[in-house]
Amino acid sequence: MAIRANPKLIEELETYGAQDVSKCYHCGNCSATCPFSQDPYILPRRSMRSLQMGLERKLEGDLEPWLCYYCGECSQECPRDAEPGETMMSLRRWLTSRYDFTGISKLFYRSWRIELAAILLVAMLTGLGFFLFGLSQGNIHHYDGVNAFLPGEKIHFFDWGLAIVLLVLLLTNCARMWWFTIGRDKSKRVPLTAYIKSAYLLPMHFMTQMRYAKCERKRPWVIHLILMLSYVTMLILIMFFVKRMAAGPAIDWRVHAFGLAATVGLLGTTIFAVRGRIKKTENHYKHSHETDWMFLILLIVVAGTGILQFILHRSGLDMAANITYVVHLMSVVPMLGLEVPFSKWSHLAYRPLAMYFAEIKAEAARAEARASQGVRAPQAA
Amino acid sequence: MRIGVYLCQAGIGDVDAVNLHSIASYAANLPSVEVVRDLGLLPKVEPDAFAAEIRAESLDRLVIAGDTPGFFKPAFTRAMALAGEDPKEVRLASFNAFGASSGNGTARAKSVLACAALGVPFPLAAVPDTTAVRPGTLIVGGGISGIQAALEIADAGKQVHLVERTGTIGGHMAMFDKTFPTLDCAACILTPKMVSVGQHEMIDLMTYSEVAHISGSPGDYTIKVRKKARRVDVSACVACNVCADVCPQRVTSEFDNGIAERKAAYIPFPQAVPNAYLIDAESCTYVQSDGAKCGVCAKKCPKECIDLDQADEIVELEVGNIILATGYDVYDATKIERYNYGTLPNVLTALEFERLTNASGPTGGKIITKTKRVSKKRGEEWVFDVDEGVPPKSVAIIHCVGSRDANHNAYCSRVCCMYSLKFAHLVTEKLPGAKCYEFYIDMRAFGKGYEEFANRIKAEGTFVIRGRTAKVFAQDGQMMIRGEDIISDRLVDFPVDMVLLSVGLIPAHGSADLATMLGLATDDDGWFSELDYNASPTETERGGVFVAGACQAPKDIPDTVAQAAAVAAGVLKSIATGRGLNSRADLALSDIERRATSLVRI
Repeated sequence: MAIRANPKLIEELETYGAQDVSKCYHCGNCSATCPFSQDPYILPRRSMRSLQMGLERKLEGDLEPWLCYYCGECSQECPRDAEPGETMMSLRRWLTSRYDFTGISKLFYRSWRIELAAILLVAMLTGLGFFLFGLSQGNIHHYDGVNAFLPGEKIHFFDWGLAIVLLVLLLTNCARMWWFTIGRDKSKRVPLTAYIKSAYLLPMHFMTQMRYAKCERKRPWVIHLILMLSYVTMLILIMFFVKRMAAGPAIDWRVHAFGLAATVGLLGTTIFAVRGRIKKTENHYKHSHETDWMFLILLIVVAGTGILQFILHRSGLDMAANITYVVHLMSVVPMLGLEVPFSKWSHLAYRPLAMYFAEIKAEAARAEARASQGVRAPQAA
Repeated sequence: MRIGVYLCQAGIGDVDAVNLHSIASYAANLPSVEVVRDLGLLPKVEPDAFAAEIRAESLDRLVIAGDTPGFFKPAFTRAMALAGEDPKEVRLASFNAFGASSGNGTARAKSVLACAALGVPFPLAAVPDTTAVRPGTLIVGGGISGIQAALEIADAGKQVHLVERTGTIGGHMAMFDKTFPTLDCAACILTPKMVSVGQHEMIDLMTYSEVAHISGSPGDYTIKVRKKARRVDVSACVACNVCADVCPQRVTSEFDNGIAERKAAYIPFPQAVPNAYLIDAESCTYVQSDGAKCGVCAKKCPKECIDLDQADEIVELEVGNIILATGYDVYDATKIERYNYGTLPNVLTALEFERLTNASGPTGGKIITKTKRVSKKRGEEWVFDVDEGVPPKSVAIIHCVGSRDANHNAYCSRVCCMYSLKFAHLVTEKLPGAKCYEFYIDMRAFGKGYEEFANRIKAEGTFVIRGRTAKVFAQDGQMMIRGEDIISDRLVDFPVDMVLLSVGLIPAHGSADLATMLGLATDDDGWFSELDYNASPTETERGGVFVAGACQAPKDIPDTVAQAAAVAAGVLKSIATGRGLNSRADLALSDIERRATSLVRI
């Protein structure tokens, strides 16, 4: 197969936030420092090399960027200040835009103005839509009951509608990811049994992010896990228990205990991350892309307005609760509708998938190696 | 002629030392200068746009002025060519290269710019007046470079005062076993020279002494040398070793780089020059107790040449020239935690291994691993024990330790690749069954016979792996090494018995004080700045002060010896003519301008 080189690849990646890739002189310090670096996935130097050589197609099919959790050891140890950690982060952004067939992701990552405009537009349209919908069939002074401004069960229909659209978008992107990383490579045939054998990895990595825990410092993993679990809890509550949540005036503590815990988790971790990014407390907080900020701010607004409308409603301030609810929806819809398929949040699907694919590919490679017994002895150069 | 002056800064070095605004207005007033533009820090120079400007202003000479203008030269040369002008008429006014970083930075920058605008090389115009020179020469540092320079000058019949900080001359070279690439015995080359220095009637050797004060002007320096109390009469001592035998105090040996011990009464090594013992005040019981305890050596000395109450002495010298040959120290490997130097016993630095493999070293040249020794008094310690130590089965050598690393020293230390290859040879030669691995980034074998030496080492069966090791660690009591083999594109992770760290070179401790004492510039890394890297690598801004060897920049032995001889030539020239150069630093801007203009007329 002919190999095409894109001489402008580094410049392209720089629009995704990469810096100093060309400084790398390939001493291999980073790969040997990385706790995840293990045959056949040697990271991050191999990606640096592919970038310098402009191997666009190879990079598209690489899983290495998703195997990195950005502990930043490599950037710290790098003798050239070539920032391999940040390169991997930028590669993840670049890959996200490659997996996304609509091209929206590419626009968002390369221009924060477009992303911000899109978020604001969707927020405005959502706000306007729900406001008009509320006025057309309810009373702004009533939060629940017959005259409710925005009755929970009707909003719920919208929730499910959005969920289905997102799922379709995300699944197509995931399918493209599979095609780039496994399907397209005709030289490696992956047996179906390998897919089945490793299938357990998908839910396991999704729920525990146990690979993240292998980083030398554990705190980033704990923070990330709390954030993720809080969000999943909230999602389940909203999607399946919304009736019980909205039911008043009595409080169902079985549901609300989870809800409050999730809110605390969400707000706590996002505020921690914002503070960290401002003060640059962690290695992975040192370089903040605009998309990182937008994602964090959206999360904080969503969690904040969510809990605020609950408090306002319980305090009997129905009108204020209704307005807060509209603001809440104005942040939820762009967050889910734009961040999940096209931006930072898509990693919820790509990360676990990458672990799964990586294991499948490694298994296939091992099988091949066994067939040709390819263990090489060290060679004198 | 119509000249365009462009100020472009690359942001390298002491950028605040010059006032760019003042320089720009100075440039505007220079004859024939039509355009002066300050392009700021790291400007993007578009050749097409500048070609248009050159045409519009019909410029026929460009001057790029800045800290490192060579950075921008290609773009301006292209612009000149596009404009149809002579590309050779792009002149550089490099502030950094000509020392515009000290106190008079702006004035120096102006004079550099004026020379560039006139098309006169700065070193030709900036020649100070001559001054009368005293015949004596002070050499600071008694390593191979100080020894070589001293012998060259003394053999010409001129007086030399050689001041050495330690108890013997010889420096680092005396510690080495072999020299690369010829694998000659280092001592066989060095010791005859050392003896010559010791016996030379024109060399006043002052070991265990330090330069305390320097005053005067070029050609007429007054030096105060503090002769530290040696407490042994050098002329009487016959090096019988009785004092060391009876001395109760043991400390680690500096000469053996800490892998062996010496007594408080000691001689650095048996072939030391002067061949006399000395008493180390800091570990001597008698000195530390103010004469209350011990004093056994003085009582037992058969020649009665020990005076434990001796005090430091200040000697005053008057010299015409000063040669700095202070050499280097090695980088502190404990600063790089991932190699676990200092925690894992068998991780050694290069100098430690030099002593280990040296036939006159503590193990008699046997390469062995350390053994654990537990004693009540000193706790647990790892030592080289010739009887119990076993030879390592595998040795890993890691290049670029502390060098070429933005977190440590950005520069290449120049000698490490070659001495590492030498180590690999010594290991494979002395331990035929052992595996030897070299982890390198780039193999810099740049000298005569060096590349051939590198190929020879590879042919001898050393595993030469491209890739710097990331980690040395212990796993279940076994030392492990982890790195990436870049050529084979895989990670390597295997057990080794000994790790040698090819530590880089840093300026010798105390050289910064010496620079302050002399008002001498150093570069960002602390090496003494020479007058002109290409044209005058041995002279400095200060008249009558020369640099030789590794104190100027990392250097191997052949280069050091060559530079030392070159320095001697410069010194002898000034003595022979009776005139030496004044300090360039004292030159006024008007002097340089005048001289540059006169050179143009010629």
